[in-house]
Amino acid sequence: MATITKQARKKVWAFLALGTFVGLLLLPLFLSLPAGAGDTPAPAASTASASAAPADAKPVEKSRDVWFKTEGPVIGAPAPKTTDSPKDYPRYNFESRVILWVALQQHLYYGSFVLAVPIFCMIVEYLGVITKDKALSRKYDQLAYDFVKISLTAYSLTALLGGIVIFTFLTLYPTFFGYLSSIFRPVMATYALLFIAESGTLYIYYYAWDMMREGFLKWIHVSMSVILNVIGTVLMMLANSWIAFMQSPAGVDADGRYLGNVWHVIHTTLWNPINVHRLLGNMAFGGGVVAAYAAYRFLTAKTDEERAHYDWMGYVAMFIGVCFLIPLPFAGYWLMREVYAYRQQMGITLMGGLLAWLFIIQAVMIGALFLTANYYLWQGMERMRGAERYQKYIKYMVFVLITCFIVWLTPHTIVMTPAELKAMGGQQHPVLGNYGVMSAKNGAINTIITTTVLSFIMYQRGNKIPVVKWAPLGNAFLFGLFTMAYINIIWLAIYGYYIPANVRVGLSVPQVASTLSCLFIGVILNSIMLKGAKDTGPIAWGQISVRSQYALIMLATSFTWMMGLMGYIRSSVRLFWHVNEIMRDNSPWAFTHTIGFGANMISFNVLFFWLTILFVFWLGSLGVKKAPVTAPAGQKVPAPVGSH
Amino acid sequence: MIEERDQISTGKKIAFTIGGLVIAGVYFLYFLDIALMKMQGLDYCYNFPDWFRKLCF
Repeated sequence: MATITKQARKKVWAFLALGTFVGLLLLPLFLSLPAGAGDTPAPAASTASASAAPADAKPVEKSRDVWFKTEGPVIGAPAPKTTDSPKDYPRYNFESRVILWVALQQHLYYGSFVLAVPIFCMIVEYLGVITKDKALSRKYDQLAYDFVKISLTAYSLTALLGGIVIFTFLTLYPTFFGYLSSIFRPVMATYALLFIAESGTLYIYYYAWDMMREGFLKWIHVSMSVILNVIGTVLMMLANSWIAFMQSPAGVDADGRYLGNVWHVIHTTLWNPINVHRLLGNMAFGGGVVAAYAAYRFLTAKTDEERAHYDWMGYVAMFIGVCFLIPLPFAGYWLMREVYAYRQQMGITLMGGLLAWLFIIQAVMIGALFLTANYYLWQGMERMRGAERYQKYIKYMVFVLITCFIVWLTPHTIVMTPAELKAMGGQQHPVLGNYGVMSAKNGAINTIITTTVLSFIMYQRGNKIPVVKWAPLGNAFLFGLFTMAYINIIWLAIYGYYIPANVRVGLSVPQVASTLSCLFIGVILNSIMLKGAKDTGPIAWGQISVRSQYALIMLATSFTWMMGLMGYIRSSVRLFWHVNEIMRDNSPWAFTHTIGFGANMISFNVLFFWLTILFVFWLGSLGVKKAPVTAPAGQKVPAPVGSH
Repeated sequence: MIEERDQISTGKKIAFTIGGLVIAGVYFLYFLDIALMKMQGLDYCYNFPDWFRKLCF
């Protein structure tokens, strides 16, 4: 009886907690409803934003939104015209922009990490709940718990770095930050409240893990992970609104005066493409960081059980990371398309002008990423008995990947001195000017992704033999699917050379669709074919080469470097504007750094982040050292093999 | 494993392979290339001869 009462009490508290979180989440929405929608001066969130509208007696001046073209009452002051003075740009004896760059980048790295980890926890904990195998279920649950433990210290660092960012803005860019915060006041207030909600939810999620381990409470716990992610995603989206506003402003008139519609300033044209791209990027990055953590623990493992556990953890993290890496280029493409649609010149600056070489560097990183991901999968196949039958295809896949990599990274223009430019008679080299065009590159990257999907399908089948009656038909269809996909992608890449640009740009859609067809149809068909398949042997977790773990660390470092690079590109494309075409940057640093300087800064940020995250991992490991590590459920841990 | 493979004749394997290629080819050409270009208001057969255009819907 006492147990039933205790259970009932737990349920009541759990419902109350859940209700509170949901209420807190929906509170801004409820508060904004009485103010109405549309062009009225209605803050979308807390009523703490007390900026009063002009008195009714005074006639309200109206102006037109620069983007949405709607009319609205002028609420705010015009964007300040700054001068290079201690008033607008107080400074240390150092470039303020660089200080802000480091602070922001570190905050972004940590923020990205702590947003990604709860998504991992949600997926893995859910897998643990639905898995029928009890031992594997416990394993997944423990893995989710380990993930959240790793990220706890990272949350504090994220908040600390956010504070440093705010202080840096206030002390080094007071005029700009004053302007931005005058427009985004309710958004920033909501952001702060949501951060409290996020922290509260996280602490309860973590500390109540053991208490809510079983039955109905477990479902409440999983629901909390969903809420944690919703809050985290909203936080990210609110912060994204500030940078989207800076790049593609809306909700203000041509003088930068706020027109009262906070939804317009939030929902600028680049907001959603940045949201999607960042959400996927966070996942890929978070997967990489966790996989690198697992790789480090694998390399320093003392027992076979530890090696097996961390090999498995690295695989799960890498798998989730690469799953989200696959759609990332599509989100990036959407973002670029919207940039071109917003301001063609901005798009040209990015990919056809000043910053074009940074995209070549990005191409090199992406190619390296996919090569590494494929390499890791091939190494992983060595721990599966039966996967040897696919070994003979690897050399062809390597050849395809490397050829595509070379095509993918080929620049269209070469770095030249003015004298060389004059000798050539123009930007385009008579021979090399034919290369490095998008038609070939689209074909190359789609081929790379399709080959990665193929590697994954081989990995899925590694230690399994399909036994379904229609297996030969399924295999034939898979063979046909991939062969025709390759042919189609390459055909469209060649065809693109012979048609005008406005038609060629449309070919990217069927190319991408070919890749996605292989991904979805191929993986799903393969999974169906493998139902009830005959095992040729268990996966020998821990029996993987040391090189594969270096590959995981390479993945993580590449993700980190690329995030820094793309963030630098996004920030630089504003050129000499704080807010594009609204508030000019009149600081002494209103110029674009050389590519070398940018690359050095990015590398510094990456190194700094990895040093500090190692400290975070070390802190996390202080608690886990005594916990016994078991091998993945159902898998025997074989005798150690020498690495090769 | 070997017994199951032996149950499929070589002729059947060839037929399945060609069938798979044809089905995939039709899917990629009609449902992806032509249809997706048409959806964007673009002409997939921009540079193609008339006899091929007749195959496009």
